[in-house]
Amino acid sequence: MPAEKLKQNYSSQEKEHIFEHEFLPHIDSMYNFAYRLTFDEDDAKDLVQETYLKAFRFLNSFQQGTNAKAWLFRILKNSFINDFRKKSKQPPKVDYQEVETFYNSDNVDVSMTTDLRVETVQHMIGDEVSNALNALAVDFRTVIILCDLEGFTYEEMSKILDIPIGTVRSRLHRARNLLKEKLQAYAKSMGYNK
Amino acid sequence: MATNLFSWIKQNLFGQISCQRCIELLELITDGEASLEEEQQFRKHIDECLPCYETFNLEKSIKEMLQTKLEKKQVPDDLIQSIKKKIRNTA
Repeated sequence: MPAEKLKQNYSSQEKEHIFEHEFLPHIDSMYNFAYRLTFDEDDAKDLVQETYLKAFRFLNSFQQGTNAKAWLFRILKNSFINDFRKKSKQPPKVDYQEVETFYNSDNVDVSMTTDLRVETVQHMIGDEVSNALNALAVDFRTVIILCDLEGFTYEEMSKILDIPIGTVRSRLHRARNLLKEKLQAYAKSMGYNK
Repeated sequence: MATNLFSWIKQNLFGQISCQRCIELLELITDGEASLEEEQQFRKHIDECLPCYETFNLEKSIKEMLQTKLEKKQVPDDLIQSIKKKIRNTA
């Protein structure tokens, strides 16, 4: 991606303009993403702040008019993995073995094992949905957030996560199957399904 | 091989796809990543295949559920100011 390597030389006024009009409008999505990664309001706040400071520091590597949201999400996700998770006392919630098994294949498996029903899904309330999503390992949770909540394309996700599009698809597919399992288990425990 | 040839003929000569192919396309369709041709083949298939139609509805409803039912966190009031202050101090 040669375009990304081109360094800009913005004046302080231009920097301020880009920051204000291209970066700050995404703060709502950024904060929600950070919160869904950290599960803590203060941590989410720190992570977003750190991301914006980095974005400002590296503003010359950003090309005005390109996809600022994807760029910011990429910085946030890298900050979370490289700096934040190390500092945090929480153990990482990723089951690496499970993750690796599925990342090594670009093929999307087409198994459908769920007997989850549309009506069950429609009756779920926010907390139930949230618990099911939060129970997923962070890498699986991330692809669902990026795709379903934030509406990023596979190509954008591939750039944000630094993985090939085939891996985006297989990870997403796996994440969705796991989410269905969680929803199904929840529905069963609540007696939603006979 | 014979089955593959049969699917190939159905798909290429009659524009019909198998359930397996339909399920492969499912996520591309719900995520808006399918090509026009894939979308047409998919729609034609689910018009005639109830199990695939139901699977598609489930996939769609889960996506909708995520978009509509998850609580959105309010950005703390002081966050933007605090970021701007830090930037001013480092500039």
